[in-house]
Amino acid sequence: MPKVKVNDIEIEVPAGTNMIEAAKLAGVEIPHYCYHPHLSIAGNCRMCMCEADSPRGPMLEIACNMQAREGLSIKTETDKVKAVRKSVMEFLLVNHPLDCPICDQSGECRLQDYYMDHGQYDSRGVDPKVGKHKRQDIGEHIVLDAERCVECSRCVRFGDEVTGTGDLRLMNRGDHTEIGMFPGTRLEHNYQGNLADICPVGALTNKEFRFQRRVWYLRETDSVCTGCSTGCNTKVCHQEGEVFRTLPRRNDDVNKSWMCDPGREVNSVVGSLTRLLRPTVDGAPVADATAVLAARIKAAGPGRTGFVLGSSASLEANWALLQVVKANCVGARVFRVAGNNAGSIVKSDDFLMDADKNPNTAGVALLADWAGNVGDAEALREADLALLVVLEDDIVSRLSGNPAEAIAYFGTHTNPTAELASIVIPVAHVVEMDATYVNRQGRVQRARRATNPQGEAIPAYQALEKLGAALGRAPGTSMPTATFAAMARTVPRLNGLDYKALGAGGRPLAPAPEPAAAPAAEAK
Amino acid sequence: MDFPRILSGNWDTPDSHRLAVAKSRGVYSQLPRALAMAPNDITQIVKDSGLRGRGGAGFPTGMKWSFVPPAEKRQGKSVYLLCNADESEPGTFKDRYCLWLDPHLLFEGMAIASRALDCHVGYIYIRGEFRYIARRLEEALAEAYAAGLLGKNILGSGHDFDLYVHVGAGAYICGEETALISSLEGEKGQPKLKPPFPAVEGAWRSPTIVNNVETLAVVPWLIQHGAAAYKALGTEKSPGTKLFSVSGHVRRPGVYEIPLGIPMMQFINEYAGGLLPGRTLKAVIPGGSSVPVMTPAEVAICSMDYESINTNAGSYLGSGGMIVMDDTTDLVAALTNLLRFYAHESCGQCTPCREGCGWMHQILCRVRDGEASEVDLGTLRDLADNIHSKTICFFGASAAMPVQSFLTKFRSEFLDRVQRRGVGAA
Amino acid sequence: MSHSATSAASRGPREWSPEQAAEIELILTRYPTKKAAVMPLLWMAQDAWDWIDLDIMRLIGRTLELPPSHVHAVASFYTMFKKAPTNKYFFQVCHTLSCALVGAERILAHLEKRLELDEHGNSKDGLFSVLRVECLASCGSGPMAQMNEHFYERLTPEIIDEVIDALRSGKQLPEPRREADQWIFPVS
Repeated sequence: MPKVKVNDIEIEVPAGTNMIEAAKLAGVEIPHYCYHPHLSIAGNCRMCMCEADSPRGPMLEIACNMQAREGLSIKTETDKVKAVRKSVMEFLLVNHPLDCPICDQSGECRLQDYYMDHGQYDSRGVDPKVGKHKRQDIGEHIVLDAERCVECSRCVRFGDEVTGTGDLRLMNRGDHTEIGMFPGTRLEHNYQGNLADICPVGALTNKEFRFQRRVWYLRETDSVCTGCSTGCNTKVCHQEGEVFRTLPRRNDDVNKSWMCDPGREVNSVVGSLTRLLRPTVDGAPVADATAVLAARIKAAGPGRTGFVLGSSASLEANWALLQVVKANCVGARVFRVAGNNAGSIVKSDDFLMDADKNPNTAGVALLADWAGNVGDAEALREADLALLVVLEDDIVSRLSGNPAEAIAYFGTHTNPTAELASIVIPVAHVVEMDATYVNRQGRVQRARRATNPQGEAIPAYQALEKLGAALGRAPGTSMPTATFAAMARTVPRLNGLDYKALGAGGRPLAPAPEPAAAPAAEAK
Repeated sequence: MDFPRILSGNWDTPDSHRLAVAKSRGVYSQLPRALAMAPNDITQIVKDSGLRGRGGAGFPTGMKWSFVPPAEKRQGKSVYLLCNADESEPGTFKDRYCLWLDPHLLFEGMAIASRALDCHVGYIYIRGEFRYIARRLEEALAEAYAAGLLGKNILGSGHDFDLYVHVGAGAYICGEETALISSLEGEKGQPKLKPPFPAVEGAWRSPTIVNNVETLAVVPWLIQHGAAAYKALGTEKSPGTKLFSVSGHVRRPGVYEIPLGIPMMQFINEYAGGLLPGRTLKAVIPGGSSVPVMTPAEVAICSMDYESINTNAGSYLGSGGMIVMDDTTDLVAALTNLLRFYAHESCGQCTPCREGCGWMHQILCRVRDGEASEVDLGTLRDLADNIHSKTICFFGASAAMPVQSFLTKFRSEFLDRVQRRGVGAA
Repeated sequence: MSHSATSAASRGPREWSPEQAAEIELILTRYPTKKAAVMPLLWMAQDAWDWIDLDIMRLIGRTLELPPSHVHAVASFYTMFKKAPTNKYFFQVCHTLSCALVGAERILAHLEKRLELDEHGNSKDGLFSVLRVECLASCGSGPMAQMNEHFYERLTPEIIDEVIDALRSGKQLPEPRREADQWIFPVS
């Protein structure tokens, strides 16, 4: 690998590494607007100019169009470089409306951020500004203000290179260059929110987030999207227990920098009216439903009690369920039911929106393979059960009916299964707990707790801990870190992993022992 | 002075654009010879001749050709030869004459070049305002095709070369070679990042050579007379003859072919007919509107070649489009006029040029109208410095150099205007 | 804009005629991609329908399998593609430096007065439009104007009058006074 220097810091990077990325590895931030790691190089904003050594002495060049090669040395903080940044900022702002007080991008705007570091602080713009079209409704999720645009063309390249829709274009030329759509058309794809994300300024803003909250009040917590089995890495932005938006988080192995629009709405249901907030037995609130459930399990007896693993539930919750059964209900049957829940996202495509709307199908398959003897939907229909304990999945919808005499449901929201259940135990939503999920690629990914659970909900693995205790033997799954560690020690394909090892971007499962066993992941 | 008229030799022959007339004047006489030559030998002659690109940059043509990767390194990609007939640098109007009066010489030059470059498809990118010329080119192409001088198996040589005319539609920037390529590809005419250079990855990501009309039209003469004969003309570093377009305050504006290196004053007086009676010289833009302006003192010591203008006046020969301004000229208004042009023509891609050209024009309008202060002149100078060489292509510098040079070399005229604020415009 | 001749109805349907379709086939053989034909097709459409409206952009987009936004962006970038109608005789008068030095403004002022132009540059009689344009590469023969496709050079108010009178009376268009036909010999 070639060695390059950034401000005399020598680092070794793969040949061809973009110098903005190389600088990042050396701990040096090079300001930029048009460069985006997952889009082609446009080189038009000129903000990333650096001085590169050449046989003719230092030359000002844009870092985004430089690739790492042996001996390349760039300097990012020379007087010349600083002067260029200052002048680029001045040019960008000369026709900018400076409407920060009413702009939703405020607080995460590259014009603002870079102005603090590189601005001139002394305006020379006294001439009239060029006017452009404002507040254009260009799609279900996006509003466009062309005056705020810095013409970086990121959104144009996104439409050309990612969605292939080619909908946005920079029209005209010179200082009348204006971002826009073909008159009468609207964005028609399911990835509109990314446009607001990649827009470095306030030109493209997200309708759902407009005028909702100043971004500096929001805290960000790393999470994963549970809208489907893709498991896009996300950031949950929240304030005082309320989730305001969910943004994609870069993971080059999973979702690059993108996520779908329905995925952004997945967390909007955290505080919705359909949320299950209190434990109930036979429709009446109770203080401790797990004790009642334990009594009913004992009454039904292991032979007529069934448990359903949850492809919408976390790895830890499914592990806890298996441990409860193993320790307390020898002879009880375990099932898993493929399919999607009522109310799950309808759309799918061959990009990020998988047809399997469960975040943990692969995790359930992993544990089912490990545990063995897990029945499918057909087996469940024929099982003749007095009591079925269901973990999060809406099996009534999936089976188009109730397969047992009674259902106990651990879930976050009301749905046909919850409505038929005689015992309902509210559990935490993904944003309310630490947990892991295995996506369609077999990648174990971690979500972190952003907010406290609503109502009396607790994470499912803790609710199951309580159930185990009530049955006689607690599985020891109240702490997610320890739960995962125990599971990873026991399940061979998780060996060696723990929360720390998963890091921000997750880790792939170890390969299945026999390749022939792999297709079992999809239980039909 | 006695010298061959390499480019303009057929212009005074009636119907010189007709194939029969052109052939009678020797056009296409070098094509069979060139087709029999080894491609590298053709490139070598062009290299040895010292011919430099006549579009403005003055880059050695043979060297440019040699950047095309050899066939084994092209992954089966075609090579494209593009003729830059987008002539649009203010002050430049020479290619229009070449295209109108001697299209077959250009075709012959392109056919020979295509042989040297192992290229089988070429395009003449002609500006949209020249559609009437494009129609003549189409007629001439039809004649050449019918005579087997273009197309498949040219003159039985086994070499194929298809040549098409592509008409622009009003964008100065398309004269920049990578913008020309973008435009040909069906994009907005916006320059592309270098690297990659067009010779390696140009039109449709294939190796592409873009040459000016005048450059390509010289090639047949080089084949006929050899590199040494060409080098014998002009100066050591600026060999050959060149077409100069002269406009503005001279008695005989027009296009003149001269050997490079004759004194600039001699050119103005003897060829362009000198100034109008009773006028004195105030300023000269020697190589198209983008290059730095020259003072009469600089004009007096410069000759018409690449080196002299650069060494003595810090300016450029450029495209050879000379604009002469006499003492009646309001230089503030002249510069404002030029910046209106650049603000109108900026492609809008790079921040400094997109925002800066319009801004400079606005300031200059205020200076011209007596509504600016000396501070504005400082801002203007800063803006020009901040645009120059900070952009993808050379347009930024082209807009900046007039501002920088006018403000430096004719400072008093600008100072006078801002100090007499409100004293009315010229 | 007072322009009756170009209402949508009178411009006919925005579909290619068989002749145009054949021409398009031919154009497409010249380029390795369909996209490259966008400018030739814009020209073709402008020749047929006088100016480029949104329907034409859609048509070209469909023909070349391009998003209409792309056709729009290209059309908007190049000044010669007309995005609005002009009158029958369209004068584009160069006002860049070389022409300005030799009296372009005088020509423009004369046109304005003679044709009684409104603020959009359209004449009172609905026959002429005048637009200021940047350099047309006739710097040595200014002042100059392009009338439709023809270059008129070394213009004087008298020549302008002659051209206007001819056009108004429906006579044959005066021969373009094109400098490049009579090039100036070098003094050797």
